[in-house]
Amino acid sequence: MGKAQIKVEGGKLVKVQLKSEGDKITEVKVTGDFFLHPEELIDELEKALEGSKLNESALADRVKAFIKKHKAVLLGAAPEDFAKCIVMAGAKSD
Amino acid sequence: MALDEAIAVARSKNLVPDTLRFFRWEPSAVSIGYFQSMDDEVDTAACDRRGIGYVRRRTGGGAVYHDRDGELTYSMFLSQSHRLVSADFQESYETLCSGLVSGLRLLGVQAEFKPINDIVVGGRKVSGNAQTRGLNVVHQHGTILVKVNPKLMFAVLKVPDEKIRDKMIKSVEERVTSLCAVLGREVGFDELERALIRGFEASFGIRLVPGTVTEFEDKKAEELRVEKYSRREWNFRR
Repeated sequence: MGKAQIKVEGGKLVKVQLKSEGDKITEVKVTGDFFLHPEELIDELEKALEGSKLNESALADRVKAFIKKHKAVLLGAAPEDFAKCIVMAGAKSD
Repeated sequence: MALDEAIAVARSKNLVPDTLRFFRWEPSAVSIGYFQSMDDEVDTAACDRRGIGYVRRRTGGGAVYHDRDGELTYSMFLSQSHRLVSADFQESYETLCSGLVSGLRLLGVQAEFKPINDIVVGGRKVSGNAQTRGLNVVHQHGTILVKVNPKLMFAVLKVPDEKIRDKMIKSVEERVTSLCAVLGREVGFDELERALIRGFEASFGIRLVPGTVTEFEDKKAEELRVEKYSRREWNFRR
């Protein structure tokens, strides 16, 4: 399991716990003091990222598309921050 | 937390008007944000030893130590169609916090809103706030620090490394302040509450009328306490 965290400049803390196989995410948990509205979407977002490749720009696009599709609002962090933190956790994953 | 959600449900069913609630935590407790991990943020064994509660909020944001004698908590519930509510979350934080800012200024505290969700005095945080929306209701709650005790705060919050505990305490002392520290005198909860009520009334152009918890809210709160907020499934779900 890989873990990483980043403090977003002028924003909040994003923490990621990740399990991966090769360069693919098998399980991901994103925690922190950011805001996502509606809140319940976090579980769905984590599910939607399973199977994704550990590629920062592709992950950011995936998070962006998810937010757009669900008309969600992310405050205190950007999709790029989620993506960056996920890739960092992936680099630490065995 | 259970009563907060119960009031939101009652408001969504139009059983109660827009509502402002003040309360203190008894016993003292730590609340964590919706997206935080309880195990990551809170030393629950230390809480248990000290008789301090811990609970996950329905709102995002960070972990807060709510000292029974050191802070006042408020919650407000507005219909999403209320003129004070904007579709933009950041804008709504600023508007809804303006009531607190104006109340604090009535006490002689030069409070200012600081995005995303804080109120600061001289750059130091005195209040944190969090918002959620659902069922056409906007629910914002937050805390106003009356007295602050960073040592106790870090006795119940997890620190990444024991070696930096003192550094973190020092950092909180530098970044956070309280009404007593700013004013250099004791500030009573009644005095603060009265000032905040006047602040909300002036800032929002409304008149607040005293009310009590309705039977529906009371029952719903008990149900939510038993089925959600006292359960491990909720509090440790992340």
